Amino acid sequence: MTDAAETANVHSKKRVPIKEGFLTTPLSDLREAKLQGSRCASCGEVFLGIQHGCQSCGATGMETVVLSNRGKLYSYTVLRNRPPGNYMGPDPFVPFAVGLIELPEGIRVISPLTHCNLDSLHVNMDVELALDRLYEDEEGSEVIAFSFRPE
Amino acid sequence: MREVVIAGVGLHPCGRFGDKPYVDMGREAVAAALKDAGIAWSEVQAAYCARMYLPATSGARILKTLGMTGIPIADVEAACASGAVALSQAYMAIASGFYDVVLAFGVEKMPRGFMDPSAIYEDWQIRMGLAVNPMYWAIAAKRHMADYGATALQMAKVSVKNHKNARTNPYAMYRREVSVEEVLSSRMVCDPITLLMVCAPNEGAAAAIVCSAEFARKHSARPVQVAACVPRTSLYPWFRAPAAYVSARPNPPSVTTRAAREAYEMAGIGPQDLDLVELQDTDACSEIIASEELGLCPVGEGGRLVDEGISEIGGRLPINPSGGLLSNGEPIGASHLRQIAETVWQLRGEAGERQVEGARVGLCHVVGAGGNAAVTILKR
Ligand SMILES: [Zn+2]
Repeated sequence: MTDAAETANVHSKKRVPIKEGFLTTPLSDLREAKLQGSRCASCGEVFLGIQHGCQSCGATGMETVVLSNRGKLYSYTVLRNRPPGNYMGPDPFVPFAVGLIELPEGIRVISPLTHCNLDSLHVNMDVELALDRLYEDEEGSEVIAFSFRPE
Repeated sequence: MREVVIAGVGLHPCGRFGDKPYVDMGREAVAAALKDAGIAWSEVQAAYCARMYLPATSGARILKTLGMTGIPIADVEAACASGAVALSQAYMAIASGFYDVVLAFGVEKMPRGFMDPSAIYEDWQIRMGLAVNPMYWAIAAKRHMADYGATALQMAKVSVKNHKNARTNPYAMYRREVSVEEVLSSRMVCDPITLLMVCAPNEGAAAAIVCSAEFARKHSARPVQVAACVPRTSLYPWFRAPAAYVSARPNPPSVTTRAAREAYEMAGIGPQDLDLVELQDTDACSEIIASEELGLCPVGEGGRLVDEGISEIGGRLPINPSGGLLSNGEPIGASHLRQIAETVWQLRGEAGERQVEGARVGLCHVVGAGGNAAVTILKR
């Protein structure tokens, strides 16, 4: 494990997910937390986070599912310019990769790729979930964001 | 349903115009369209104004400068397909017999560079750095390369072609030819997409006077028929801004494919009947992918259209003879109606040096945020 991931695992401050419902709780040990989604009880389609209705078939019966922390890189790119607006990544900006990660549950999630060499990425490579502190919010809580890294 | 025609079109150039008010830009395009149609403003019975980043009642604020005639004026917004929705509203009003003359116009005034991400994305996406439109195009391009062997060279050739076409388009933002080497060596935006492979969000205005064929016969010598105008939204899933995830199951036909199929059916013509296409080249690879989705070639062979010169002016099926979004930029509300104006001129034989010889049928296509897309087919 890298130093950055080690630091993020120190449990001292309150932690909140980057978006409510995206991560399992508790977040005290980031090695144990996972992405969370919703599965349509009618058609089986899986979505990221808490959903109240199915975007695919319109049914309202949704069940919460824990998403696998291993997947395959379906496709990717490298962002060479600082993203617009209130981007919370490193300043000065450091180019980073973004991938479309295919998970066994039948969903592809758009995610930053971290802890990786930008030149060694390739379509279909194996990747695993990495949860790290992105920033500290106004209440002093650590905001935890997801990314994937080469296995 | 009655036959619907476009009696006249007008454009304000695409670009960036500093302090020039959007009201002036919009009024100039509308006035040009009325003049082109030979129709007086007082004869227009309803108006639809497409815009995305402008304030409420933009349409009414623009049109009051022509005189407040008391007609219904509505602003419409459907991201990149906004102009198509305005045209579609006009089309339906005329086809149904409710009105005889309707104005469909679009206008946009944009910030420089990246658009305000909060208009499209959620706060967490912006904070994580995922609120980047070219990111979607690049991820789609990378997968198309892996699946079908599309190349960066083909993308560069698309950009070269569209910039070349725009040389003699007085309304285009960029009218300078570029070389393959220049495109490939320009600054990388999102691999494999370079700066000269992406379009710029910008400003402009476009207008079309839509009327019944019967009304046009009395006024306009050169009406162009609207054979189909089909705006649609995507079925799930949709891999464009602001999607955060998509299904890994086999996907249904894309919104572009669905709109195109319906438009071909409505018009009673197929892709083999087209003489020119103006399509949404927000980036060079999107032209390759959209060509396939529109049925202009088999899936995976979009790159061949540019490799073999098929999509050049003078080729079997010229694509983006106006220079496309790569040269005109994307004044979002005006963008589809800009394509419509170009295609009307092409079908009337008035496109000057970029004229597609003998053009009789043209297709215009847009696709963008929120799963919006549209296909319009014009014929003479
Ligand atoms: Zn469902």
